Amino acid sequence: MKGVVFTEFLEMVDQAFSPEITESIVMDSDLASGGAYTTVGTYDHGEIIALVGALSAKTQQAVPDLVKAFGQHLFNTFVKVHPDFFVGSSNAYDFLEKVDSYIHVEVRKLYPDADLPTLTCNRPDPSTLVIDYASERGLADLAHGLIEACVSHFGESVKLERTDLDPPGTAATFRLTRIN
Amino acid sequence: MDPHLLQRRYEREKAARQQAESLLEVKSFELYQANGELKRMADEVAAQSSQLNAILDRSLAAFLLVDADGAIIRVNRMTEVSFGADAQALTGRPVASLFAEDCRKDAEALIQAAVTDLAAYADDDNERDVSSELTGRAADGRTFPVEIGVSRFELAGQLHTVWICRDITKRRKAEAKRQALEQELRQVQKLESLGTLASGIAHEINTPVQFISDNIHFLKDMMADLEQVFAAHAKAITALEAAGGVAVLAEVKAAEDDADLEFLMEEAPRCIEQSLDGVKRIGKIVGAIKEFAHPGTDEKTAIDLNKALKTTATVCRNQWKYVAELDFELADDLPKVMGHPGDINQVLLNLIVNAAHAIEEVPGDALGKIRIATRGDADRVVLTVADTGCGIPKENLEKIYDPFFTTKGVGKGTGQGLAITHNIVVAKHGGAIDIDSEIGNGTTFRISLPIEATRQREAA
Repeated sequence: MKGVVFTEFLEMVDQAFSPEITESIVMDSDLASGGAYTTVGTYDHGEIIALVGALSAKTQQAVPDLVKAFGQHLFNTFVKVHPDFFVGSSNAYDFLEKVDSYIHVEVRKLYPDADLPTLTCNRPDPSTLVIDYASERGLADLAHGLIEACVSHFGESVKLERTDLDPPGTAATFRLTRIN
Repeated sequence: MDPHLLQRRYEREKAARQQAESLLEVKSFELYQANGELKRMADEVAAQSSQLNAILDRSLAAFLLVDADGAIIRVNRMTEVSFGADAQALTGRPVASLFAEDCRKDAEALIQAAVTDLAAYADDDNERDVSSELTGRAADGRTFPVEIGVSRFELAGQLHTVWICRDITKRRKAEAKRQALEQELRQVQKLESLGTLASGIAHEINTPVQFISDNIHFLKDMMADLEQVFAAHAKAITALEAAGGVAVLAEVKAAEDDADLEFLMEEAPRCIEQSLDGVKRIGKIVGAIKEFAHPGTDEKTAIDLNKALKTTATVCRNQWKYVAELDFELADDLPKVMGHPGDINQVLLNLIVNAAHAIEEVPGDALGKIRIATRGDADRVVLTVADTGCGIPKENLEKIYDPFFTTKGVGKGTGQGLAITHNIVVAKHGGAIDIDSEIGNGTTFRISLPIEATRQREAA
């Protein structure tokens, strides 16, 4: 998993909780990397699971809630770091539709070995967007947080419904419906 | 923050920085290597590009890269030479503007066919080209014939065409020269045939000339005799007027008897009739020779094959009349065929003379038969020339159309007759020729000529 996920996760913990909690969960997680991450490095996916688990234990908050919150944080980071990805998208539906077809393509140019989720979008009617998420990493909660932050970024009123598919976490359907 | 925690964060960040530096070093090395590889590839591409440019610039054909709208993107040196304009002036121009005004629609049609008319192309890349001959127009207004091949291909997701144009002025001149030579050769062959037939034709003409001459001498003598008769009649009239009658009448009778007036009156009309017939025969022979020897035109014309057969048989009558009887079985409603009359006459002459020569080879004095028949099929006219001659051995059948192959004796054949016949029938007229032959029983040649072109012309 790319280092940016780890650095941003620790950044979120710093901001949302405290640097002490950050250092504490790093120590509690017994990480092979020692918690020393760079944004451009690649690290074991298991370390993020361990960090989230440690944070949950430390804060008594559910893992799905923490991962979803991290998704929201990560989206806001992308807005700042990669503004070019948002050029030409005036609403959440347009942006979400190009994640798989454009953003993931660009990511693979830089990181050919990147293991990215698939997001298959379709619009059964103009006010509805259905996203089928699938990833072996089981980060449907992260996708949930990212989608929520996206809708919020564009300032839209959208009802988001999530249906988890088996095995849990690895596949889910997100149904977005515009609210007039 | 607790100093211990700060120390740990510092250690963690320091380790991260070391990782980043190591990664930077690795990536820098990879970048250096990639850069080297890129440079090597760029050099290779540049070398290949130079080679391609050298090939294109040294090519004797003009190469033009054209976009889907027909605008010129790039040209080679020969394009500049052929069309008298530099690459800069040509770039962006419509490719159709490089052709004479009356050819521009054809040029635009080539673009249309190459780019948009997908049905005109098969999936096979080899068939993804169209070709044509148009008239090029140089910047100085000079026009020249140009052969064009247009291929299409995709470049950066867009359809493009490559135009290969070759100035064919020299080829056209050579073709015109060749055609003139062929025309000249055909005429020479015809005259050669006439030369060969000349003694026979002279004999054919000489026979009627001989009896016409005899008849005229006879009529001359007859006139002398008649003058005496008429003088006696005049004298008798004068004497009768002077009443000295009987003796003078006896003289008149004697003069009539001397002149054999009864014979003269009987013979003179026959003599005149025969002479007129002789003159008609000479006229027919001369007419046939004139028709046979006519140089003709480059254009094909509608030919009455039956008439051509009669003409040719007349011209070469002396070749066959001593050895064979010639029977015609000609279809009354035979369609005309499009062709070169001189060439067709040459074919007919070769077949009839060959038939006569084959019959001549048969021992004995009995006359043979040459049967000439014509018939019209759905899309062709079929001519059959059958003889009762000696026949052709099987081992020679494959060689009879080879130039200079002959089994005839010295002075009788050059071995070109059937080679010329085959060339005229098959190559020039799109027809077919086949042969049946049996030793001792004779040979039959069947020639078929298409009539579709004639119908199309008549319909037009």
